Amino acid sequence: MTVTLASLSQQTGLAVLDHLEQSVSIPVVDGLQAQGDLIVIPLSVVAPSVRPWPDAGWTDVPPEGVELLRGAAGGNPHTLVADPDICRWTTDVSDPDGLAIGIFETSAVAYLLHPEHGATGCTPGAYVIRRQREHEGHRARLVAD
Amino acid sequence: MSVLVQREAAEIREEWLGRALSTLPADRPAAEAAISGLYRLIGLAPPRFHWVASPAAALATVPRGVRLRPSEAVERMSEWPLPPRFAALMRELCRGLDAQVRWVHQPMDRLIRREVRSSLSQSTASSILVPLRVAHGSQYRPGGVWYGVQCVSWVAHYDALRRAAGVVFTPEQIQQFDLWATVARSCGWWWPREGVCVISERPVTVHTEVWGDDGEARLHCADGPAVRYADGWDVYAWHGTQVPSWVIKDPSVGRIAQEANVEVRRCAIEHIGWASYIDQAGLRLVSSAPDPGNPGSELRLYDMRKETRVLLAVNGSVERDGRRRRYGLTVPGFFDDPIDAAGWTYGLSAEQYSLLVRRT
Repeated sequence: MTVTLASLSQQTGLAVLDHLEQSVSIPVVDGLQAQGDLIVIPLSVVAPSVRPWPDAGWTDVPPEGVELLRGAAGGNPHTLVADPDICRWTTDVSDPDGLAIGIFETSAVAYLLHPEHGATGCTPGAYVIRRQREHEGHRARLVAD
Repeated sequence: MSVLVQREAAEIREEWLGRALSTLPADRPAAEAAISGLYRLIGLAPPRFHWVASPAAALATVPRGVRLRPSEAVERMSEWPLPPRFAALMRELCRGLDAQVRWVHQPMDRLIRREVRSSLSQSTASSILVPLRVAHGSQYRPGGVWYGVQCVSWVAHYDALRRAAGVVFTPEQIQQFDLWATVARSCGWWWPREGVCVISERPVTVHTEVWGDDGEARLHCADGPAVRYADGWDVYAWHGTQVPSWVIKDPSVGRIAQEANVEVRRCAIEHIGWASYIDQAGLRLVSSAPDPGNPGSELRLYDMRKETRVLLAVNGSVERDGRRRRYGLTVPGFFDDPIDAAGWTYGLSAEQYSLLVRRT
């Protein structure tokens, strides 16, 4: 079945803005991809410096998805969506840069959905999701779009 | 826990948020009667009431005909005798109300604590407490408990326990609780001294935006004051950050250059827009490169100030108007290569960031 923005939106009950093209199939990517202030990195690219804790707690991604991060104003969330029993997720991640939100492992295509940025697919594999930061004086500030 | 109960809790939270952010004129008779009732509960006769238009006026003026004791001067608010007595009265009431929460109510109590109480306390801190901090200036002590006693968050918590969770209060508890609830919905901040109580009217304008998961509000207005009182006293805010009025009314490159506070500078630049700011400020282009994963778009690195450069990037998806937003990200000043700088924002090397396949 072709997965489109419309079908994902229906599956999760999450609305997307109507100016986005809803009927074309969503590109599925096996490398690094960014969705606004989030980036999805294949785990192999940043391992071993980024990895799950040895005793990490994993949860299955439910049909309505896992909310990864909300935007600053208006609260538009980035949501990880997958079919039942194919994708698991943990926030117990060690990351020297402190930017990781979590790691997911998926055995079929999983999707990242955002009302303004649309959707994007990830091929089976393990990925780290990181936030973006900015430089401010002598410290860094996390970006929220 | 039923979804209905959760929905009811959210409705009660919105009701109290609306009261906290209300711009209606105070209900003076109701406020005076309820505060008089609270004075009686700590064993004092009702005070004389002195109404003012704003917290700034309340902190700057002394009611006519009143000679303040030195210990009741504004600078020494933490030593005033009455606020601790009211705070003790409130804490005693809360202890009593908590004791009415049975084990069957406990899941609901936890939900209300998170979705009503803590949400409202954050909303208050980012909205109506902001003008209060500005009015106090450098004398403001965030640890001061008196303003916390007046926060709607605890009132809303017990209101929700009573209405949504079915916790039963005694008649005495209801009587006192209603006094606090009436004050909270009838007027602005109040400052109790022996014999005289100063009460502020509410603002006539409040602009907020929702920013949190549980409906938390914060001050924001892009074209005027976020809060304004009838006497003209006002406060400006950009997405929750209190800023000088020029940031909203006249955000110029010259003023940004003179501004010492990095947060204020950032707000002013965001208001101008990063791309126009870079043009107007004439920032020097250090280098540019195609953005991997974002076909047709460039990453541009500019000199900004000492030890800081700015990376101008183009959004991966189009806005409602069909255009792509350009946005600036500040990066450490030692980067010469925009790909290096873009990688750093995600904790990646230039080689790793170059692997970017897609940006939306």
